[in-house]
Amino acid sequence: MGLNPDEPDETRRDAHVAEMKESGGLPVRTAEAQGGIFSGAPGFLTTRLDTVVNWARENSLWPMPFGTACCAIEMMATAASRYDLARFGMERMSFSPRQADLLICAGRVSYKMAPVLRRIWEQMPQPKWSISMGACASSGGVFDVYSMVQGIDTIIPVDVYVPGCPPRPEGLMYGILMIQEKIRRASPTADWVADESLIEGLPTLPAQHLDLVTSPFGNSTQQNRSSGLVSSGAIVRPNDRQP
Amino acid sequence: MAQTKKRTVVYNVTRNPQLADGGGLVHAPIVPVEGEVASDFDEDIHGTHMLINIGPQHPATHGVLRLVLELDGETVIKCIPHIGYLHSSFEKLGEYRTWNQIVPLTDRMDYLAPLIYNCAYAMAVEKMMGIEVTERCKVLRVILMEMDRIFSHLLWLGTTAIDLGAFTVFLYTFQERERVYNLHEAYTGARITTSATRIGGMMADLPAGWIEQLNHFVKTFPRTLDEVETLLTNNAIWVGRTQDVGVISGQDAVNFGLTGANLRASGVDYDVRKDRPYYDYETYDFDVPVGEHGDIYDRYLCRMEEMRQSVRLLQQAIARLPGGPVNVDDPRVILPPKTAAMNDMESMIHHFKVVMEGVRAPVGESWFSVESSKGELAMYVVSDGGSKPVRWRVRGPSFINIAALPHMIEGSLLSDVIAVNASLDIVLGEIDR
Amino acid sequence: MTDPNFKKGLDALDQGPARAAGETVESPPPAGDLPPHPTVDALRDTFGEAILRHEVVSGDEHIVYIGPERNLEILRWLRDNPGERYDMLRDVTAIDYGNGAFLQLVYELWSIPNRRQLRIKIELPLDRLEVDSVYYVWRASDWLERETFDMFGIVFRGHPDLRRILMPYNYAEGHPLRKDFPLRGRFTRAEQTRRSLSLKTEDHYSPYEVELAKRLGQPLPSVMADDGGPGVPESGMPGIGAQ
Ligand code: SF4
Repeated sequence: MGLNPDEPDETRRDAHVAEMKESGGLPVRTAEAQGGIFSGAPGFLTTRLDTVVNWARENSLWPMPFGTACCAIEMMATAASRYDLARFGMERMSFSPRQADLLICAGRVSYKMAPVLRRIWEQMPQPKWSISMGACASSGGVFDVYSMVQGIDTIIPVDVYVPGCPPRPEGLMYGILMIQEKIRRASPTADWVADESLIEGLPTLPAQHLDLVTSPFGNSTQQNRSSGLVSSGAIVRPNDRQP
Repeated sequence: MAQTKKRTVVYNVTRNPQLADGGGLVHAPIVPVEGEVASDFDEDIHGTHMLINIGPQHPATHGVLRLVLELDGETVIKCIPHIGYLHSSFEKLGEYRTWNQIVPLTDRMDYLAPLIYNCAYAMAVEKMMGIEVTERCKVLRVILMEMDRIFSHLLWLGTTAIDLGAFTVFLYTFQERERVYNLHEAYTGARITTSATRIGGMMADLPAGWIEQLNHFVKTFPRTLDEVETLLTNNAIWVGRTQDVGVISGQDAVNFGLTGANLRASGVDYDVRKDRPYYDYETYDFDVPVGEHGDIYDRYLCRMEEMRQSVRLLQQAIARLPGGPVNVDDPRVILPPKTAAMNDMESMIHHFKVVMEGVRAPVGESWFSVESSKGELAMYVVSDGGSKPVRWRVRGPSFINIAALPHMIEGSLLSDVIAVNASLDIVLGEIDR
Repeated sequence: MTDPNFKKGLDALDQGPARAAGETVESPPPAGDLPPHPTVDALRDTFGEAILRHEVVSGDEHIVYIGPERNLEILRWLRDNPGERYDMLRDVTAIDYGNGAFLQLVYELWSIPNRRQLRIKIELPLDRLEVDSVYYVWRASDWLERETFDMFGIVFRGHPDLRRILMPYNYAEGHPLRKDFPLRGRFTRAEQTRRSLSLKTEDHYSPYEVELAKRLGQPLPSVMADDGGPGVPESGMPGIGAQ
């Protein structure tokens, strides 16, 4: 809908309302609905339950910041003066998982930390979403080593991956907006509680799949020519170079 | 009403004459009583003591530190820190990387002051290889390191103030930090993970206008510092929660290996920039603030003064920044210019070899330390003549500072634990490595 | 077009070590020519045979090799002797050169009053990784020795609390910084994930804490955040994530 300044206000508004209704967007105050105050008409509106619930959920997300390393600093910057996450209805960072519905995992997660992350996720009430912020949380990043979890999606389900090392605050905000988008599209009346089937003490994937998705790739030492194209064996010295 | 004792840190004492006798330390080693730790329990503790667990995911532990406390009412009887929740095995990974490939790992270790770590690593390797960097590079690295000292202290100030209930300071300091982020970004392209150094120089020369931007920061930044000081220094709550809390004596501090502002707040005048000057620090005019009580308040005063001294250092360094190349003229460690590598076969092969095989270091080792924002940061590099280190060890200042935490808080109140922990200025990335 | 300098540079690259132009390859200077270090002479006078070698590396870093038997005695003497006063233990670590070579244990000392550096090295055969702890000489050695034990498996006799520090207490794959340890660990990723997710509460506590909880009749507190039901969040302020 183009904005034509010559069009009368009402025409524009009606077209807008029609468009919003069509797309199942926000409940919009139509002239009739406003009537409760303005013209004595009954004070209710009809809309879909999904739309109202989603609208409420998406605009008051309470994030639980699970920050471990460098990415957490960018997450702090996102919440601080310049970027000001509060603009998206999220100024209440929740440090208790029981009162949160968005887990932002920012930073690398070690195997020692993995059960903690899993437990925090389990403690969050449904409905809940999660963002994996940064290369490390999403895939292990440069840390393809003995102590690091190769992507938190082997531990908990992940909704949005934000790439970057670290992602810029704008990146994190975009990720959060995508979560909002996802919430908007969901139908809480159809599947009220998401089925997760996390089994106590077990990864989210079967063993073969987990080994497959965490096998060395791209940034790993296997691709490092100067290490002689061997995966993590003992170091070949001193002539550690490819013939 | 909290007592507001007026107190100042001993300002502008570079070598404090009152603390004479070899750099201000009376040498009387503490000898802990043998068998002091564990195993002997007091018999009548049933039902009175309590075991609580803080962390690893807790907003006030500044990362993923975990503390187990034994409490008697509100008094901390015993504190046992557990670390390793962020162990990313940097040192093992370094053994599989060539000398230059390690640089990006160093700034992921201390993400509060990445450039200091970049520079320290490059300096250690250069010392081992016997490379003398150019004048411009030296001054440039001094500028970068002092800038990041401010950068890191600002975060410390903001988060510590939050932990003690003062929220405004956090917004002020982050506003300033954003300006340093911009400087990082203008030079290196990244906000935190800078990876600015290379063996034998820097990854590039400064972009145009950078020095002016820095100059503007240096000029306007102290105003924020003044503002923060009016908010905190004589604030009754701040003073009440910091003075005489978390005290450690100078002798104990040395025995525990503390360094940086934590050590100097206890009255020991030890600063690597003065004691083993590198990069001509001896020719700069700056003072090292030294406290006398060894509590949180003195650490706060020391860090505040350190930021002002860093501003002084920055002004001098900017004034003396010479022209000329930033990289050494040594084809064995530095890549040929891109135009040459594209046009000339020899340079291309040379470029290829440096990139694919890496710089090769002579057999040797070097344990080289600089004064980072948290204390004495040392990089220990050991080479057996290959293009990768045999061992790359980081002596992280926070790792050793945090080990003294139980000593400082045992016997004090539970609420002080958070304050003392915050005052030590730790970064978990480097504690757990 | 072909610049002779670059040819020279290439050759030099093959020879490896970067030396200043024109410098010839020299063998390490004989023992007599080393720059003098007052402590080394004093050490030789006092301990005689126990002092094995003296080396200088990187220009000004002095290394003294000592035997493993009298390390505690020698190090205590270095701290207490009025002429030496090495009051600061800056680092304890180890080096593994691989291929079954001796492990080198490194103590880095600094004397604040005398402004002097000294590095003490002890060579340990792989089958007898044991030395005396210097816990009661420098408290700084507490965690440093625990770390060396964790990463290399060197046992420090007399350390009151020698347990793993960085790796989980139930870690079963060995000592990571040894050269025979593969970069990605010995188990598969699936196995590592499974082991980490099935950590029991006791695995997160030191023996002291387990014992204490037993005596208090109190269950061990959960390591996971906020296990006690909906609690008051520590702080409702935005932005204070973990660092
Ligand atoms: S993705 Fe990069 S910035 Fe984020 S935690 Fe990993 S290393 Fe740090």
